[in-house]
Amino acid sequence: MTNSIREIRDADFLFVIGSNTTEAHPVIAMEMKRAVRDGATLVVADPRRIWLTEIAEKHLQLNPGTDVWLLNAMAHVIVTEGLVDKAFIETHTEGYEAVAETVKRYSPEEAERVTGIPAEDIRWAARKYATTKKAGIYYTLGITEHSHGTDNVYALANLVLMTGHLGGESMGLNPLRGQNNVQGANDAGATPIYYPGYQRVDDEKVRAKYEALWGVELSPEPGWNLNEMMKKAGDEIRGFFVMGEDIILSEPNVLALEERMNRVEFLVLQEIFPNETMRFADVVLPASGFAEKEGVFVNSERRMQRVRKAIDPPKGARADWQILLDLAAASGASWHHRTPADIFDEFAQHAPNFAGISHARLDAQGEDEDGYTGLQWPCPDPDHPGTRYLHEGRVLRGKGLLTAVEYRPSDELPDEEYGLLLSTGRTLYHYNAATQTRRDPGLDTKQPGAFVQLHPRDAKKRSIRDGDPVTITTRRGSIDAIAHVSRQVKPGCIWMALHFAEARANVLTNDKGDAVTGTAEYKVCAAEVTKASDYTGELHEFRGSHYQAGHAEDAPS
Amino acid sequence: MIQRTDQLPTIELDGRQITFHPGESLLEVASRSGVQIPTLCHDPRLDPAGACRSCLVEVEGQRRLLPSCATPAVDGQKVTASPEHSPRIERHRKSLFSLYLTEHPGEDHPDGVERGAPNKLVRAAKAFGAEDWGKLENLRDDLLGDRSHDENPYIQFDSDLCILCAKCTRYCDEVESVSAITLAGRGSETTIATPDGRSLLDTTCEMCGGCVAVCPTGAMGEKKPKTHKMPVEAELEKVRTTCNYCGVGCQFDLNVDPAAREGGGEIVKVTSPTPAPPPPTPQPRGRTGGSTARTRCGKGRFGYDFLHHEDRLKTPLVRGADGELHPATWDEALAAAAAGLRGVQERHGKDALAFVSSSRCTVEENFLVQKLSRAVFGTNNVHQCAAT
Amino acid sequence: MNDGTKSRSEERTRKRGEVPDQLELAGGMVPGSAAIVAAATGDSEAHAYGVASFYSLLARPEKKLRVCTGLSCRLRGADEVLSAAREAGLDAEGYSCLAACDAAPAVLKGRETLPEVTPEDMARTGGDWQQLVSSSPRMQTVEGAPNWFGDVGSYDGPLVFDLPAGESEDTSALAAAAELGTPGVLDAIEASGLQGRGGAGFPAHIKWRAVAGMPAAPHFVVLNADESEPGTFKDREVMMRRPDLVVIGLAIAARAVGATEIYLYLRGEFTIPRRRIEATLARLSAAGHLDGLDFHIHEGQGAYICGEETALLEALEGKRGMPRLKPPFPVEHGLWGKPTLIHNVETIAAVPFIVLNGGAAFRDLGRGEPGTKLYSISGHVGRPGVYETPLGVSLDELVELAGGYTGTLKAFSPGGASSGFLPASERTRPMDYKHLADVGSMLGSSGVVVLDDTVDLRWSALEQLRFFEDESCGQCAPCRIGTRYLRDAVDRDIAGTRLSNGEAPLTHVDDAAWQMVEGSICGLGQIAALPLTSARQHFPADFPSDTPPKDSASPSEPEATK
Repeated sequence: MTNSIREIRDADFLFVIGSNTTEAHPVIAMEMKRAVRDGATLVVADPRRIWLTEIAEKHLQLNPGTDVWLLNAMAHVIVTEGLVDKAFIETHTEGYEAVAETVKRYSPEEAERVTGIPAEDIRWAARKYATTKKAGIYYTLGITEHSHGTDNVYALANLVLMTGHLGGESMGLNPLRGQNNVQGANDAGATPIYYPGYQRVDDEKVRAKYEALWGVELSPEPGWNLNEMMKKAGDEIRGFFVMGEDIILSEPNVLALEERMNRVEFLVLQEIFPNETMRFADVVLPASGFAEKEGVFVNSERRMQRVRKAIDPPKGARADWQILLDLAAASGASWHHRTPADIFDEFAQHAPNFAGISHARLDAQGEDEDGYTGLQWPCPDPDHPGTRYLHEGRVLRGKGLLTAVEYRPSDELPDEEYGLLLSTGRTLYHYNAATQTRRDPGLDTKQPGAFVQLHPRDAKKRSIRDGDPVTITTRRGSIDAIAHVSRQVKPGCIWMALHFAEARANVLTNDKGDAVTGTAEYKVCAAEVTKASDYTGELHEFRGSHYQAGHAEDAPS
Repeated sequence: MIQRTDQLPTIELDGRQITFHPGESLLEVASRSGVQIPTLCHDPRLDPAGACRSCLVEVEGQRRLLPSCATPAVDGQKVTASPEHSPRIERHRKSLFSLYLTEHPGEDHPDGVERGAPNKLVRAAKAFGAEDWGKLENLRDDLLGDRSHDENPYIQFDSDLCILCAKCTRYCDEVESVSAITLAGRGSETTIATPDGRSLLDTTCEMCGGCVAVCPTGAMGEKKPKTHKMPVEAELEKVRTTCNYCGVGCQFDLNVDPAAREGGGEIVKVTSPTPAPPPPTPQPRGRTGGSTARTRCGKGRFGYDFLHHEDRLKTPLVRGADGELHPATWDEALAAAAAGLRGVQERHGKDALAFVSSSRCTVEENFLVQKLSRAVFGTNNVHQCAAT
Repeated sequence: MNDGTKSRSEERTRKRGEVPDQLELAGGMVPGSAAIVAAATGDSEAHAYGVASFYSLLARPEKKLRVCTGLSCRLRGADEVLSAAREAGLDAEGYSCLAACDAAPAVLKGRETLPEVTPEDMARTGGDWQQLVSSSPRMQTVEGAPNWFGDVGSYDGPLVFDLPAGESEDTSALAAAAELGTPGVLDAIEASGLQGRGGAGFPAHIKWRAVAGMPAAPHFVVLNADESEPGTFKDREVMMRRPDLVVIGLAIAARAVGATEIYLYLRGEFTIPRRRIEATLARLSAAGHLDGLDFHIHEGQGAYICGEETALLEALEGKRGMPRLKPPFPVEHGLWGKPTLIHNVETIAAVPFIVLNGGAAFRDLGRGEPGTKLYSISGHVGRPGVYETPLGVSLDELVELAGGYTGTLKAFSPGGASSGFLPASERTRPMDYKHLADVGSMLGSSGVVVLDDTVDLRWSALEQLRFFEDESCGQCAPCRIGTRYLRDAVDRDIAGTRLSNGEAPLTHVDDAAWQMVEGSICGLGQIAALPLTSARQHFPADFPSDTPPKDSASPSEPEATK
């Protein structure tokens, strides 16, 4: 996030796209609700009706995968109506001309045809965004989990840069991180192209620094990203170390992956619960939960905060950092680290953006006036107070780069054989592979099993009624779930949550990855739904939710 | 924009001159000046309700006592807020809390509520010398229809303890915008209820537990069996930490029963940090007061049982010649892991290994995985599920 | 959201105002109704449920017959009528004052108030509530709809309301106001000295000028026709006999303060007066007199507290009728947070006279304070009804107009239940705002209830306390618990039992009453103890046990009940 969570409530315009914030980031959603209560205008772009669309001034219900059309058309309006921030563009950006040229071809009328959003709504949203000073954009996996996810992000960044909505409070471009420490894992260098602190592995000086620090020779070649690793499993890649992820549940097109995993020669799994990946593991190392160890998580707004040990791990299990030190030692390395604080110091002191942060400083840091703790990086020295929002006064890379992007259709769209468009996502009550939440009796009662949302029209066509067991099929596999007939989805679209091991949505999803990030197209693939012939799972009801408590559009018609 | 202190307006509070920042309420000015005003229905995240009447103060020129939570400070105002300075305030607090106690069991409450739950009313009643005026019978229904029939596993309402400050319903409306619960009925039969008295599970409730967190008397309480069996709150260790679910990074206190699990400790509930006392200098205010830094969602507040789940992996496992995983010692397992990875490296080259780290683990652990990958096994094939 | 149109959030907010009406359509508080109403209005189901449970008419939809238990109705046999109803197998309940004290005992049938219902009327229903008809000679049918009028009268002098004259075709006040323009109308209101006739007596012109000068838009005018103060029925009779004055007064007020939208909040039991108002609105509107103005009629759903202006605004917004904190006042932060002029029916109905005759003409009609006043009078007098006299007549003068005392005067309430009780010695005191405040009472709604020497004031106080307990909104503790605590104490005092801690029942009532006065948010709680405190003050003989407990107070004392 370029800006901070606390600034959301003071925004005057919020553009939420590809984020079901109330379910995936409930506490950030509270700030958004607060802003709306205080008079801010909320615009939500999402193929589904979600909680936030209820309080939004406008819901731009776009066809899945047509984000570039919507965003370029908004840019079209801003450019053609002269709503750009000329001074900002001249001083702080480059590449504007090319973008202005490209978006000329993306008229709102044409966009209406592709996205399904009325041209007038696109115009209204573009004008309102461009002409409101405190206007923030908030997005998450609905933008990135596409084969053209990077294009989506560029298109959003273009809007931010051409309107100058950067470098001030309550604006900017704000990806909401899905997991507790997505930011921290990237910050720490668990990426194929960066050492800690986004220092490139192919930068000679950086490599020399770490070679000197660690006393070994380091590879100058960037590594494979996760999507590529999964595709090369069993071929180029023959050995895996996996910590804290159930790749067999979480990765797309898993049936193909399972077949490849059988050809992997060796896999080490470090985990707290048995999971699907364990079937392929040669060594399993029992690890620890967050309350059983010391460390630091970094949240969406670059805030480093302490995680503290409250209880012992179960007898026999060890803290993950301890296991990693033990494994390094068993592999012949002699590392000097003794405590998480030591480890953190090595991580932070050699990455300029983090150099001012240490466990000791985080522990000494009290709450600020809003109750927040920790430090937001960049924080280059021990006296630096941290950074609430980025790009103040000047864009960090010198010039903000506008990148012209063209619409590319999603990799796999509905056709005669698979007539529906499947998107996947998350729900409020579960968390990713749900190894934790499904072991909680309460969260599990509220949402006990897998379901697929489909529009009444599509349900009727297939003689499916609400609560029927159904089979969902794609070119990659099929699973069973309970039908939830709902107007939350558009006609022609279906939606599933990915949390349920007995109905793995990722059997269905497309593993085509984005060219830059490798992030797979979880949000769009072609699917078909039929009544299940031999359903063996449990039937369950849908407990109360915002969408069942008397909202007109969902009332039986 | 911070104004210089000597340019700020002032009020006279219990005879002292106090500067304030325009927009501050009398309650805010008082509490940062060390003048204690009792509150039951106040929360900085909520619009002031002025309903509990605990915080009334005398303002010169005003015939009526005014709720300090909802009354903005005005330059030159003379305010009396302490019983020592005002017999009227003294009589007000004493009689108000006496009246409250006629409908409240005070400390004589049977089991059924979590032990050691806070009760601000009982504390205030003691502090201001409330008397026994006799007890009235409780006419109110318990929420969620019938307490015993609501199968929701987390939240219970006990109308005996409820003082109708409506913090729970206001939090549900104003902070969560969920509106699962409401004030229902009228007059002395007013209670907290779900629509048609249904189980919370069958309402829009998202199980955030905010109602429990804001309740001043424990009427909204936790239902988890562990929470009920736990020692009184004073014997619990509170460990401040960061939530392990989404990317917001909420802070909360794990409440640990240190003696449980043979001394290994057990988490019995999660509570929100108590706000630090406000600094004594005037505070500039944003457009809206009270951040959500201390709010929680249901996963954060209640979703910790997995840590104590019987399915946890406790023993290292190594796959044997029979193709099955077998228990092993740590030394055996680590040696097997190192040898296996080295073997692949030797057979297929450094870049035949891939390290999948975890955005669920700490910064330190991610740092170690990439260091292991790069410095020990010589490959940049390291990534994590951030892309997922 | 182009200029002039409402944003989605504003639309949603307005839509929420329909919640009470929609709940009525959905059958009140029955399982599933909240969900239906939430779907229809976009409000949350829990809110709809909370609203349904707040209002008497919604919360108990199965009750089709409600017998008024106000003091005047009980003095005239309401208890017997209720018993007769139950004997006839009818699902009837006792109910708060129906504003028909002059036609006691009154019964609410569905949403329609019937005058002077007898036990025989109940017996004749044969157990079918729909068969209930009042045999009162007041009942008539006008154009097929039931209709009835109370008795009215006036002093011998110039009249502002002239209720006996009935509805007039005269609309000259509208033209006069147009000629005066906003400044002229405001000046006339100021010169008249008109005070709010709802009870507080606040100078009207201050409110008018405040709303007219508020920069926020839009402005609203709201008519408070939620007449519910026990002993008061003057607004009912104004709407029945002079709906023209009400509608014209509202139109003048709206134009003067820059409002185009006018909300009329009528108590839901005023079905018959509502028809009169609607007919007048239709007539004047058709003649083009109301151009540019939008009148909305909102029916209350049974809550005395909604007579409190901010509770009324909450009810109009479709919420539970719980009073707001003041300040801010409605002139600044009223309906939907916008500047709002809110007046009682009588206040508004005085406006045409003032505009036509000038402020001074109105002012000069009063004795000490300005204008004439409509007094409702009921209880032990010959001809209960609504009487127009100069503001500040004495009880004796008023009763003379109302047919004289029917017994020996013992006590009276000058301004509804909220004014407490005064002894016969105050019978010559001018009944205006100042002189009544001087003796700890108030003019209030000028609903005068006369009690003769057969009445026990402890019993009377208990009845009034019961009313306030039933009608407390429950928001703040001093009122919610205090009303109940006092009623419980008097119940125990009458029953001869003690508090749970063994003390005499009235030991703490003074402290509790003090707390209610000091601590309550709104007027209801602030005055709810007055019936008891004034009765104890003026009629100690009716509280025989109200002395410090004797030695006999011991735990072995029997839990005696009647």
